[in-house]
Amino acid sequence: MSSRTDTGGGKSAVISGLGVVSAAGGNVPETLRNFAAVRRLPGPVSLFTTPLDPPVFEVKQPLPGNGASRTLQLALQAIREALAGARLGGDLSGRRVGVCLGTTVACQLNDLEFYTAFRRNGVAPLEPVRRFLKGNLAEAAAAEIRATGPHITTVNACSSGSDAIGVALSWLRAGLCDLAIAGGADELNRVPFCGFASLSVMSRQPCAPYDRDRQGLNLGEGAGVLILETPESAAARGVAADLVLAGYGAACDAHHLTAPRPDGTGLEAAIRASLEEAGVTAADVAFVNAHGTATRDNDKVEGAVLARVFGPGIGVLSTKGYTGHTLGAAGGLEAAFTALALREGWLPASAGFANRDDEIPLGALRERTPVRGRWGVSTSLAFGGNNASLVIGCNR
Amino acid sequence: MNIAGLGIVFNRGRGVASLERALEEGWRPPVSLDLKGVPGLKAAAYPVAPETLDDKAVLAKARRADRFTRMALLSAFDAWTCSRLGQDVAPSRVGVILATALGPHVTTFGFLDGILDFGDAAVSPTAFSHSVHNAAASYIAMTLGLRGPTLTVTDFHFAFHEAARLANLWLDERRCDAVLVGTVDELGHVMQAACARLLAAPEDGRIKPFAFAREAVSIPGEGSVFFAFAREPPPDSFGALHVAAPGAAPAAGLTHCLLEADGLIGDESRYANLVAPGAKIGAYAPLFGSIMTGSAFHAAVAALMVKGQREYACPVPADAPGVSAIAATKAAAVGAVASLRLNCAGALRSLVLSR
Amino acid sequence: MQGQDREQELAQIRMKLKDLLVSSLNIEEVTPDQIGDDDALFGEGLGLDSLDAVEIVVILQRHFGVEVKDMERGREIFRSVNSLADYIYDFQHPTP
Repeated sequence: MSSRTDTGGGKSAVISGLGVVSAAGGNVPETLRNFAAVRRLPGPVSLFTTPLDPPVFEVKQPLPGNGASRTLQLALQAIREALAGARLGGDLSGRRVGVCLGTTVACQLNDLEFYTAFRRNGVAPLEPVRRFLKGNLAEAAAAEIRATGPHITTVNACSSGSDAIGVALSWLRAGLCDLAIAGGADELNRVPFCGFASLSVMSRQPCAPYDRDRQGLNLGEGAGVLILETPESAAARGVAADLVLAGYGAACDAHHLTAPRPDGTGLEAAIRASLEEAGVTAADVAFVNAHGTATRDNDKVEGAVLARVFGPGIGVLSTKGYTGHTLGAAGGLEAAFTALALREGWLPASAGFANRDDEIPLGALRERTPVRGRWGVSTSLAFGGNNASLVIGCNR
Repeated sequence: MNIAGLGIVFNRGRGVASLERALEEGWRPPVSLDLKGVPGLKAAAYPVAPETLDDKAVLAKARRADRFTRMALLSAFDAWTCSRLGQDVAPSRVGVILATALGPHVTTFGFLDGILDFGDAAVSPTAFSHSVHNAAASYIAMTLGLRGPTLTVTDFHFAFHEAARLANLWLDERRCDAVLVGTVDELGHVMQAACARLLAAPEDGRIKPFAFAREAVSIPGEGSVFFAFAREPPPDSFGALHVAAPGAAPAAGLTHCLLEADGLIGDESRYANLVAPGAKIGAYAPLFGSIMTGSAFHAAVAALMVKGQREYACPVPADAPGVSAIAATKAAAVGAVASLRLNCAGALRSLVLSR
Repeated sequence: MQGQDREQELAQIRMKLKDLLVSSLNIEEVTPDQIGDDDALFGEGLGLDSLDAVEIVVILQRHFGVEVKDMERGREIFRSVNSLADYIYDFQHPTP
């Protein structure tokens, strides 16, 4: 029911690089190997002390350290891989580069050590506060790589990463920058860990997205980043324009703070808006990388919408079976995985899925599947009710 | 981008009329607050009064909402209602962008209290779900029934600028036909205790924007400002808002220039260089306090100047030579007003409001 | 004698529950004594929702030392103040 007067198919951005770090792998090659082997590594929490025992998906790869927050280190790791893939150096000061990153943890002063000291002594230790005030994720990442274009951090809960990519697309189309680093990062943190446990949405088993017996999500951590650029910039740099970001759609449920709208109309609107913007029909889409958190509510609502929009035969997978729910990083990681599937020509099995749920009109992919088509969609449903959809294509 | 509606919640009350009244009445001393958890420390501040947030009708479905959300919800509601855009624009075509510097830190620390007092297994899910930055925008969408894209963004200095700029892109792209854009930031005992150590407070309770001091004084404030933006100028508009390119110096042809000096960056000497020749200068942080998202408040003042064709006396006057600061409140020809903000690194962002 | 003790204890639990529901869930239009023992808490009655349900789990833990392990059973347990009070009492006085 859009009243848009343009014809859709607005200018796509080239995806010239991508970077990932999660429990599924410290970089793209390792992640693809684990996807191919359907290998996943959930385990008990080791990054902090807690009496709670649900499994989590921690990044095992050592990170450089140097005093930066774990979230920023994860982000920079993914950014560096993406920049290398795009054949860009670490100093971008000569170019117009925007940085838009999503997060949920890095924006909060939720340092328990700091707060314990404050409660005990009645004095706010200043070092953590100073670090916090210098720690806006996009601003700090931009400073590190000397990107001088626009920067902002999106804090939209589980769709932050996808929304960050959508923002970057708008910037590129408006000519605010020629290149953009967009995605998300979040570290595994005791505060949201306790929070999600209290909402009774965490499974005590490794998560089973879309499965009949799914019991909830597992938290994970990581970062996923795309290098986006205008086609003119890619052509000028002699970089291949095989992968493109063609559309972004977002729509709010306006229903409830923690539960999705049961009829899924918000998600449906977001998906249709992204397809229209990309100039792509539902029939053109080869697969969907679903939000697929493995909560009873999410998968049921999302599955119904995907079947409605794309037909029940659409290939659906959730990579959260490999990464856990990485919150602010999820949209970035899953956009990268969508692009990778198109580039590599195959979709991994949806780890954790075994039996179809009769209440969901479709199931997830049980085994590695070739990609038949040029377009993939990645969906995100956020706490608070925002829904986001990205349309990614491959020109080969 | 045209301003169809404006809402504000701050220490002097709720609504455009309360901002006009505050501008007419001038400076008032800050309140002295006891800080929970810091016995013996009193901190001066400009808090929103409890009665300002009293609105059973608007807050009927927000019983669990914290102060952070309530401030945002009331100012967004007012901006949307006064815009009357709801009559012409379908809910799916309205976007919401909320900008905040610190987010709902009071609720976040309350959640941490739960972990420390009751353990990981007995924390409050209500507190957790309100401690995320995007809860307030969610309530705005739910209360007003808005189904377009809803986004929350954060930056310590220029969140409002980026939010407003993005809204403009959404309108240009026809992603939306109207966008509610606003800010909210709150006072809280932990951050105030930190501020008391990091920043200088004035003995006489006055923020001094024209001192251009190397160790400027500040008094923390809180509140929310929302704008309802539309592509076309509506009847009774507050004028147009333009987000200038970062670093751009104030353009020629401005009639007025607002300096957002509020003590938060410490060294404000560079504000002295921003005084644009030919423009009359205003500075209004002494009315609402030092707020990291204070740009939205200054933009609201500029919008009132444009709409009402009125200048407002600076609440704390200039005594610097060569600064043509507005000294009296009166009718005036207001063409274009720029509002300028510096961050700690000296980077400049500006907003321009015009007829 | 035992029956009377049980009734007395249940009455105390009900009163404490009503106070806690109003304060913890920030219910503004209703006072504790206006909540009927058998009034529906969810849906049409007091109008509580899924977020309130998980908050009640925490109330039970913090103030009564009671756990709810299975949220699917939650519907029955949380139906009214009476059903909550019965659940609390039974948890605190397990039959050997």
